[in-house]
Amino acid sequence: MNISLILEQLVNGLVAGSMYALMGGGIAMVYGTMKVMNFAHGEFFMLGGYLMYAALDYFHLPMALAIAIPIVCVPLIAMAFNEVLFAPLMKRDNWEMGTIVTALGLSIALQAVVLRTVGAEYFTVPYLFDGFVRIGDFQLPAQRVAILAVALVAIALMELFLGKSRAGWALRATSQDAQAASVVGISTRVVFLMAFGLSGLLAAIAVVMLAPIQSVNPWMGSSLALKAFVVVILGGMGSFRGTILAGFLLGLVEAVGVMLTSSEWREIFFFGLLIVVLWFKPEGIFGAVRRKA
Amino acid sequence: MPLDRTNMNQKLKFPMIALGGVLAAVAASLGLFFVSGNPYVLHVLILAMVWALFGAGWNLSFGIGGIKAFGHQAFFAISAYVSAILSLRLGLSPWLTIFIGALVAAALSVVVVAPVLRLRSAPQIAIVTLAFGEIARILIVNFKGLTNGEMGLAGIPTLPSLNLLGTKVNFSSSEKLGYAIVIALMLVLVLTVTQMFRRSRFGMAMTAVRDAQDAAASLGLNPTTYRVCIFVASALVVGLAGGFYAHYLQVLTPSDTSSVVLMVMVISMVITGGLGTLLGPVVGALLISGALEYFRAFEDYRLVIYGVAVVLIIRFMPDGVAPLFGRAAERLLRLRGSTGNGGAVPSKRDAPVQVAE
Repeated sequence: MNISLILEQLVNGLVAGSMYALMGGGIAMVYGTMKVMNFAHGEFFMLGGYLMYAALDYFHLPMALAIAIPIVCVPLIAMAFNEVLFAPLMKRDNWEMGTIVTALGLSIALQAVVLRTVGAEYFTVPYLFDGFVRIGDFQLPAQRVAILAVALVAIALMELFLGKSRAGWALRATSQDAQAASVVGISTRVVFLMAFGLSGLLAAIAVVMLAPIQSVNPWMGSSLALKAFVVVILGGMGSFRGTILAGFLLGLVEAVGVMLTSSEWREIFFFGLLIVVLWFKPEGIFGAVRRKA
Repeated sequence: MPLDRTNMNQKLKFPMIALGGVLAAVAASLGLFFVSGNPYVLHVLILAMVWALFGAGWNLSFGIGGIKAFGHQAFFAISAYVSAILSLRLGLSPWLTIFIGALVAAALSVVVVAPVLRLRSAPQIAIVTLAFGEIARILIVNFKGLTNGEMGLAGIPTLPSLNLLGTKVNFSSSEKLGYAIVIALMLVLVLTVTQMFRRSRFGMAMTAVRDAQDAAASLGLNPTTYRVCIFVASALVVGLAGGFYAHYLQVLTPSDTSSVVLMVMVISMVITGGLGTLLGPVVGALLISGALEYFRAFEDYRLVIYGVAVVLIIRFMPDGVAPLFGRAAERLLRLRGSTGNGGAVPSKRDAPVQVAE
């Protein structure tokens, strides 16, 4: 196997990993602040894909608007579901079970609604960037390079927001100790809303970049969300930084795995990894990072 | 949690009411068939009882044991496939293979519960059990030689005829009454044993372990023993439902038996009837199945209905339908005194914060 092929696979791994990081980061954001595992996160991603497709093919809007619509709408949808379904459950004694069941039900319902109303058709969205980027003597598709670049910028901005802005401080304070945060005047209600909004934003960014190389269909979110859950667990359940690291790591591991295994068994590998990590290190591989973050 | 003596004596009065309730529910359903005389009603009823048995098994782990597992579709599917393959390939009697299938599911549940025992957070347990469910589904799809993959198995043998006191009971797609009786008996047996279990010392210890694990452990109860036992029992019951399903429908596909959708469907039934209650799974399965048949026009929207039902019931009727029918119904369903809050374990300690309005 020549060096350039391996390098190309590794870059592909980073590209895939950046998407796992974005999706995992969104799930970790909600889990870190609310302790709610949002099993419907993949469906938020999927709704963004349909919004983008509808804007382009149905309403014939320019690409810039087709990108803007999911970026604006998916966070709003996520926040609306939080207000209507999740936030009211948080006040109950058995909120933990209630939110898990609600998220599972929401995930099934959203998939089924899209399947019944739009259909099982696979739609395609045009590439945002055509052509190739040449570095030395190997070339990469521009779309993939753009995915990686956009994800890195989004992650950097999110880190900046969490680290430097007052709203970001409120979010981190709530995730460290919600009771204490509310004592010093942070409204948990607003923070929960913000967590869902930001998580929807990350899912929207991911789908806008990924829809052109995937296809838009009712199940497009579930396989990605699955890997995102693996990433969240590896990253230490709710640590943003740990999750981002785990995302890139999983992307690279998968890229190596593609060269070695058949695709039929890959999902078993992911689930097996997840169970083994939870079995032996329930706090995740990057659990330690959380304390510093 | 100290056990109150007077409360215990009070409780002992209820088993007969419990048994009566179970029998009444099943008898009422069978009555529905005889009144209408329509074989299709019987088919719907048999499937509803299969889901009721699945729900009763899941409820053992989720409601009574407090182990918040979401992967029981794996036990259902594994048992169904084991039973179907053994009877198809080796020609064993389905009367035997149903039990072998359920035992295999129970044995595998030990592997599932092992990592679960180490976890205290409900979302982690949910993810691990969901992952096991998906692994089972992918294995069934991938082992094409045995399971025929996505295409599924067909031509699974029916239950062989029985000769009971000179009366021959047949089991076939045209003679469904035998199936209805068998599944009703399984359901009554499982519910009776469940109710006896809850009244027993062992059952009360289980409740103590569920509601206050550390306190129970400090009184000398080993939480691991109780949790493993209830989980294995739960897998066994769900496995029985799976085996029966295989030989009743005679067709199995991975998507019908092992997808998360099946689990959500059963959840929608159990929470409609009342989570952690004895009769909740039966009432919920009959109500949801009946409602779906009544609104046949929405057949294509089944999945939407299960998903939306789950979301709405959790949001607006967390105790299920029993409170709608007043105190008497609630008492019958819940068999008051057994589980104070229907298995919805309050865990203020773990709650992130009480949200200020």
